[in-house]
Amino acid sequence: MKTYWVAYQIALQETLQRRSTLIMDRLGGFAVVVSLYSFWTALIGDKATFLGYTRAEMLTYVLALNILRSFVFTGRGWQLVGEISSGRISSYLIRPLSYHGYALALDLAQKTIHVAAAALEVGLLVLCVRGELFLPQDPATWVLFGVAALLSSLLFFFLEFMISSLAFWTSESGGPLFCFELFLQFAAGAFFPLDVLPAALRRALEATPFPYMVYFPVRIFLEKVPPLEGMRMLSMEALWLAAAYAAATTVWKRGMRSYAAEGG
Amino acid sequence: MKALLAKYGRIWLRTSAMALQAQLTYRLGSFGFLLGKMIRLFFFFAFMAAVFQHVETVAGYSLVETALFFMTFNLIDMTAQILFRCVYGARRTVNEGDFDFYLVQPCSPLFRMTCSTVDFLDVVTIIPVIVMTGMVFARLPPLGWENYAAYGLLMVNGVGLIYAIHILVAALAVRTQELESAIWIYRDVMFMGKFPMDVYAPAVRWALTVGIPIAVMTTFPAKALLGRLSAGWVVYALALTAAALPLSWMFWRASVARYTSSSS
Repeated sequence: MKTYWVAYQIALQETLQRRSTLIMDRLGGFAVVVSLYSFWTALIGDKATFLGYTRAEMLTYVLALNILRSFVFTGRGWQLVGEISSGRISSYLIRPLSYHGYALALDLAQKTIHVAAAALEVGLLVLCVRGELFLPQDPATWVLFGVAALLSSLLFFFLEFMISSLAFWTSESGGPLFCFELFLQFAAGAFFPLDVLPAALRRALEATPFPYMVYFPVRIFLEKVPPLEGMRMLSMEALWLAAAYAAATTVWKRGMRSYAAEGG
Repeated sequence: MKALLAKYGRIWLRTSAMALQAQLTYRLGSFGFLLGKMIRLFFFFAFMAAVFQHVETVAGYSLVETALFFMTFNLIDMTAQILFRCVYGARRTVNEGDFDFYLVQPCSPLFRMTCSTVDFLDVVTIIPVIVMTGMVFARLPPLGWENYAAYGLLMVNGVGLIYAIHILVAALAVRTQELESAIWIYRDVMFMGKFPMDVYAPAVRWALTVGIPIAVMTTFPAKALLGRLSAGWVVYALALTAAALPLSWMFWRASVARYTSSSS
């Protein structure tokens, strides 16, 4: 465990060292949040609610998106593709550590910085727009939301890991990974609440693991699901996570068998 | 002048043919990237259509008008990506020493750095965008030829302004050997151009028109077509590009003059 803690600390320092890259990353993400907030504000206009969301709930949805994007969608997929394709992964395989654990430690370091930055941005936006936020009154909601966010993050990590592991068989796995990430962002509700979509399309998406990453956690935070329904969602999310973990480790083991250690 | 254009035309054709060959070799990867781009387009369009099931206008624009903004944004953005894709690898070109070769070749290093690769995936993606734009045009009320002329002129102007930004990004890569995020922050901020500027608060709108002129690049053409852009703003847009192009070129020249080779 100490090994992974040290890896986490080093990765934290590295992320903080590349400040210009970090600031630019955050500025870009902030621009997307401002766009979405402005668009939704224009949609609500003078109406009391839109698609069942009040103005405060919609603002909270957009701001929660910013935090969840930073916490959930910062994986190690592209690094894994690069390391397998270049053969650099060999140097990790001969070390006395689990690559998954090591990657999780690095991922956690990235998430720590990005979530802190996202929280600052959210505070800044709330100050700028002087908008009313929806904050849950029931402490259980905060707990449920925290657990849902944690499971979402792990779910994304293992799904991305599974797709990236295609690099064991092809040097072209960047394409499927790009496609997966784009589809995921829309299907997870990371650009807009899935309520806006036609019922048939929404139901189809709800049968996949994707809405469990952003849409359902935010609905839990907004107390739009009763506690029992929230528990059911968390159970489903845990099942999806178990399936993603099993699939990712199976693909990884098979990949290991066909890995040819390209590069020097 | 004619001979010079013919020479650069030949170089562009040769490097474009090489880029096409590379993308055809990278079939699975290219397919994944292409599918991802199509998914993004489909979801945004589905989102727009779904939103207008619930409202009649957004910031005073109807569905067809909002779609016009979205399609115009895509046309300009994709044209720039098709033509100036090379800039995305500018930092790597500098860091790996390839830029040194550009400097000794009998060809403008700026041309090599910014225009010598064509992204054929965007060439494929732009076809449905053109078809969809045609469908949007067919649903617009009758407009005068001067509206269409202003639309075309401001589209070309927008691509020119985007080129100035790409020159700036390439110059930053030469000058600092860093700032690889510069092009990505541009991409993220461009996201704001997907919606009509009228959805934003006045301060943001001003920033996007004067500070980082996303509005000039992406939304001015559609506004001009709809007859909602004054002549003064048209003159401003043209003057801005007329100033930005030589200024970014001067910055490029100054950056290259300071360049001392960054590889071994």
